[in-house]
This record gives sequence, C-alpha cells and structure tokens, in this order.
Amino acid sequence: MFKRGLAIALAGTLALSVLFTGCSSDEPENSSNDVKQEESKTASGKEEVKETTDEYSGTVTVQMIGDWEMETTTDPLTGVKREGLEVVKEEFESRYPGTTVEYVIMGWDSYTQKTQTMLSVNECDVYQVPGIAAFADQGFLEPLEPYIEKDGYDLGQLIEGQIDGWKAMGPDETDLHIYGLPVIGDTRTMMYDKEIFDQWGVEYLSERPTLEEIKEKAAAMTGTNPVTGVQNYGIAWRGRDTADTMVNIAESLGGTWGDGFRFKELTFNFNSPEFVQAADYLLELLAYAPEGVVTGQGLETFGTSQNNVAINLRVGPNNYYNTYVTPDTIDKYGTSYLFINENEGMGGMFAGSPYSIGATSDNKDLAWEYLKFMTSDFYQEYQWKNYQSLPVIKSATEWDDFVNIPGMDLVLDSMKYLWTPRYPYRAGQPRGILTDSVERFMLGESTTEEALNDAQTQADEWVASLK
Amino acid sequence: MQPTMKTISSKNHKKMKEQSYVWYLFLLPALIGIILFMVYPVLESFRLSFFSSNGVKETFVGISNYTQLILKEEVFWKAIFNTFYMAIFQVAIAVPLGFVIATLINNLPHFKDLFKVLFFIPYITSLVAASMVFMYLFHPEMGPINYLLESIGLPGINWLSDPLSAKWAVIILGIWNWMGFVIVICIANLQTIPAQLYEAAEIDGANSFQKFAYITTPKMMPTFSFLLIMGFIRTLQRFGETYTIGGLEGSPMRSLYTIVGFIYDRGFNGTEYGLASAAAYILFMIIMVVTLINMKLSKMNV
Repeated sequence: MFKRGLAIALAGTLALSVLFTGCSSDEPENSSNDVKQEESKTASGKEEVKETTDEYSGTVTVQMIGDWEMETTTDPLTGVKREGLEVVKEEFESRYPGTTVEYVIMGWDSYTQKTQTMLSVNECDVYQVPGIAAFADQGFLEPLEPYIEKDGYDLGQLIEGQIDGWKAMGPDETDLHIYGLPVIGDTRTMMYDKEIFDQWGVEYLSERPTLEEIKEKAAAMTGTNPVTGVQNYGIAWRGRDTADTMVNIAESLGGTWGDGFRFKELTFNFNSPEFVQAADYLLELLAYAPEGVVTGQGLETFGTSQNNVAINLRVGPNNYYNTYVTPDTIDKYGTSYLFINENEGMGGMFAGSPYSIGATSDNKDLAWEYLKFMTSDFYQEYQWKNYQSLPVIKSATEWDDFVNIPGMDLVLDSMKYLWTPRYPYRAGQPRGILTDSVERFMLGESTTEEALNDAQTQADEWVASLK
Repeated sequence: MQPTMKTISSKNHKKMKEQSYVWYLFLLPALIGIILFMVYPVLESFRLSFFSSNGVKETFVGISNYTQLILKEEVFWKAIFNTFYMAIFQVAIAVPLGFVIATLINNLPHFKDLFKVLFFIPYITSLVAASMVFMYLFHPEMGPINYLLESIGLPGINWLSDPLSAKWAVIILGIWNWMGFVIVICIANLQTIPAQLYEAAEIDGANSFQKFAYITTPKMMPTFSFLLIMGFIRTLQRFGETYTIGGLEGSPMRSLYTIVGFIYDRGFNGTEYGLASAAAYILFMIIMVVTLINMKLSKMNV
C-alpha cells in the first residue's frame, strides 16, 4: 500500500515537473519583468548599473582570433598585468545566470580557413569574422537585422560607419545587410615627431594637413638635423601599406578604387587620373623618405626617443598606445587625420573585426545576447585596457583611461570617416596586383601611368578568370 | 613419436608468422595517421585541381585550372623563374663551398667536432627567425653588411629594395642556413675514403691536387648527387624566408614570389583552392622532372 502511494506521489511529481517545464518556451521572450538591475563595476572601476536576466540558459561558444588569454598574465616587456577572458566570462554569466560561456581561441595564421572549417561543422555560436563578406556569401552567417529590430538594439551607440563597414551579402541577396556587429575598431592616422619639428623650426602639422602642406614640411626636415647633427627624413610610411596610402591620396583627390562587392562583379579605377596623380605625388615624397621605405625599412626607430623621421603617413592603433603610454615619448609625438575627400567627408580604409552568429548555431538567442554584450561599455573597456583594441562605441570618449592619452580622441574620431563598406578587392588578387604595380613605379622600373595601366589590366583579367 | 626437424621448423615458422601480425598492430596508429593526414589530402588536392572551389562551393572545370596557370597566369611563370633562379644559385654555391669547408675541417688535427657544430647550428635555426635577423643585416643604413662594404670602399646596396639584390639576399640566407647540412654530409663521406688509396697515390708520386682530383672527388660523387637532389627539392619548396622578407606579394615587385608562395597566396589568401591545388601538382611534376634529370646527370642509380 505504502509502495503504491509512493509510486503515485513520484508519478505526480514527475507529471507536474514535466507540465511546468513544458510551459516554459524554447523561444526566449524579452519580458521586462525578468530583468533585474544591479550595481556593477567596469574595467576601470567605474560604477555602472547592469541588467541581469535569468530567461536564458545553455552554453554559448565563442571563437576568438589573436593572443587572447583565459587567465591573467603579465606582459614580459612592460610588466603590465593583463586580465584574462575569465573576467568577461564571469561578468556575462553573472548577467545571464544559468548560462555558460566557452571560448575557442586561435592564432591569426590561416584564420580564414580555420573559421570556415568551424562554421562548416557548427563548432561555435559566435565568431570573430574579419573576412565577413566571404562567409556571408556562403550562407554561413545569421542575418542580424531581425534580432536588432526585435530587440530594439540601439545602433546609434556605435561609432558612425562601424555597422556599414561590415555589411555583407548573403548567397541570394543583391543588397548589403547586417551580418556582424563591430567589436574591435581599427583606423590609421598620421603621426609626427614634435621634437624634430621644433629642432628644424617647422610649425607642427595641422589637424587635417593638405597634400601640399605634407610635402613642404617633409622637404623642410630632410637632411642633417641642425641641433643633433643626425640624418633626418621628412617622411615615411610602412612599405607594405604603400598601395593603401596611394588609394587614400587618390580618394582625397576625388577618385574611387572602383565598384561592386562580389568578386565576379568588381570593376576598378586603378588607372584613373586621380590614381596617377596620387602615384606621382608619392613619387615626389620618395625624395624625403629613408632608403628602403618601399620595402618596409627605415621606420625602425619611429615611436621611440631615437626617431629620425619627422612624419609617418600611416600609423596603426598599437603605435599610438605604445608611444603615448611611455614616459620618454608621451610628449614627443602628435597625431593628425588621414587625407580626407572633402566632398564625401571620408578618408582611409575601413578595418577592424566584427563578430557574427553562425547560421547553424543551436543557441542563437543567447549568441545574440553575447554579441550585444561585446558592444557594452564593460566589454569594450576590458578590450581596450587589456588588449589595446580600439573601442567601437561612442561612450569610450568618457572613459578616463582613454581620454587621458594624448591623441586618442582624434584617433577615435577618425574612425567615423573611414570608407565603407570595407574595400572588397583587398581580399582578392587585386590587392597584390596593385602593390606590385606601386612598387614598380616607386623603384623606377616604369612610369606611374604604365604601372597603373598594367594593374588595371591584370585586375580586370583576374575578375574575368573567376568561374 | 619424436617431432622431426621439418615439423619443428614448420611450427616455428607458423608461430613467427602469427607474431609478425602483432607488429602490424603497433604500426596501425602511424599508418592511420599517414592515410588520414598525408594520403587523403594528396588525393583530395588532386581531385580539387579539377574544380573551381572556394572551399564550400565547387564546380567541375576539367583541366582549365592547369591551362589557366600555364597559358594565362604570368605571375605563375614569374614564381617559377624566381624559384629556379634562387634554387640554382643556392645549390651551385652551397655544395662546392660546403665541400671545400668540409675538406678543411676534415684535415684539421684538432677541434673537428667544434667546427662541425658551429657550421651545423644555422641548419637547426628557424628560417623565419633567421630571416628577421637577415633583414637587419641587409638594412641599407643600419646593416653591418653595408657597413663592411663601405669600409672597404664599395658602395652600399639597397639589398631588399632591388629585385635582383633581394633575390641574392635570400640566396645568401639559404646558403648560410643549408651549409651546415652539406658540410656534415660531406665530412661523413670523406671519412669513409680508405687511407690506403692516398698512401698508394703518394708512393706513385701524386701531389695534393692529383689526390684531390683523382681520389677524393670521384669518391664523393654519390654524396654530390644526393646533395644536388635534396638541395633542389628543398629550394623548389622555398617559402618561409621569402614570405617573411617579401610578404604575401613577394616584394619588391614580386621578386621573392615563389611557387609555394603562389600556392599559399591563391589557396589560403584568395580561397581559390582549385587553382592552388593545380599549382601544387605542377610543382610536384617540376620536382619529379628535376630530380630525374639530376639523377641522370649525376649517374645516380635508384
């Protein structure tokens, strides 16, 4: 009798638990009643109100490319502590109780192939996808517009252009759509050595220098330094960026690289008058640059106290940070914008890293929550503080750690002028073709017109060869 | 009934045969690894060479990847020229030079092992790390090589900015890296030449040059054949150092763009896997033909 009663009680409990479980929907609903607010601290220790919700469950797996570490480490060069990803894992899991974050960290070598393989076998839910266009084209990525709309996600919190820069096309689409949210920002600016300018008695670069201003000042500071007696060069740029620098100059003169988004549809303007003019301008600058600048030599001391180059035409985010946090060089360098096309109000190549959701992810709603979390102040500040990744949100201008570094406000501001969408040709052969041609005229092997005509022909032939 | 010798031998043979299968079991993990990670990729790559593929979407295109490479891709021929240019000069310089140094070391009364180690160290050095060091050595203003040239009254060279000197910088790096291997192999061969041959030659009145020309050199021929073949296979697959110094495009002006560089660029960078696979098979054919020619020229028996 007792056994029978126990069995009935157990069966009843089981039925009730099944009933209650069945009542909960697989589809998460955004009920504001489930959202609680709690005090929290950002990476810099600033108090902020964070929202927590227990309406999600399960595991979200995130693929990340680069030198990310799970645990806190110490930089062997600077001795500065770098907090591991365990910090953001803990924060996300506290905001979404009952969920778990797992990371798959991989190096930059062959990242496209590794990501493609992972996407093919549904290895992760969230992916870092700098090559977003190719993956979206193969139908590997989840379109994000429905999530943005459903959630009322405010795209206005992101720096202008960041969403447009990463737009891509799905396999059957003819227009660009949102497949990824920006997470890591990137940009280029000019940097100049104020000390060298002072020694030569030349006025510092203006915030938005013209082509003429650059050339005149570079010419004025090439030769033996009147104070130190050391050989100075007026200008230099990273050799492998010469083609990108030329495109930036050509665009500031009213030119465009070309048109189209899918490889098979690309057309190019590599031999347009603006490109030829930009090429001739770069050739003129060569007289004020160190020997070997075309192949990446001559800028070894730039950013240090031993520098001998007055203007660096193209500098990435790590250079600013390393230069501006070092006591020896914090006051030595200044920053200016890249060349801007006055009519379009744009200048410079769009870059960085977006994150996307895999189309076959089993936990897309939680993956979307993680994507949003990556654009939060907490995550963005964590990235900046520990990995010096440029933030993609406007509120970064309010961070103490950010605005106290000279030039960073200009660097952040420069991100909104970058040309969007990202130049598609740089993921294909035309990038190498253009580089080859630029090197040819820079090394005096052909005229600018011949080299650029050749680049145009080769790039067109490559498009035609695609089956 | 006592067992005869024949039945004992038959039993032992059967037992040994049974036991031999056990060893195959131990070989199985390695065999599976070879099949999965070597045989399968090689066959898959051959299949891919007949497709236009970005890794996911595939279209059968027959032999058009091969015809495109051979008939239309000028840059592929440039890669072949660069690869052979650097291979020929590297092998042509490293083998005789290595042999001369090996002979000198072999004749040393003391410290033979020390010199062998000193010369062999570059061979075990990472080529990528060595390339970084060589970029500094060849720096037009700060590099010690130009400093040396200028100190003896010669003009400095902008090594890595000129297509020809950039190739020679890579050749010099290659010789430095490979020389230790050549020396060690040559010394091993030199030590197997019987001393009696030299004694007999001396009795016959042969001088040092005659001994070198008529005893040492002929006895070294199999080693030279081996070094020639290994050297060409190695240099035709050149990639690490040219990629580090010249980047993906093989700068300057694609002068350091090699066949493997082309395969990497079009395959892994451009996701043109079909074309890259076809290039890999053309490289395979080139290496096979060059090896056969080398074997024929050096009269090496297989």
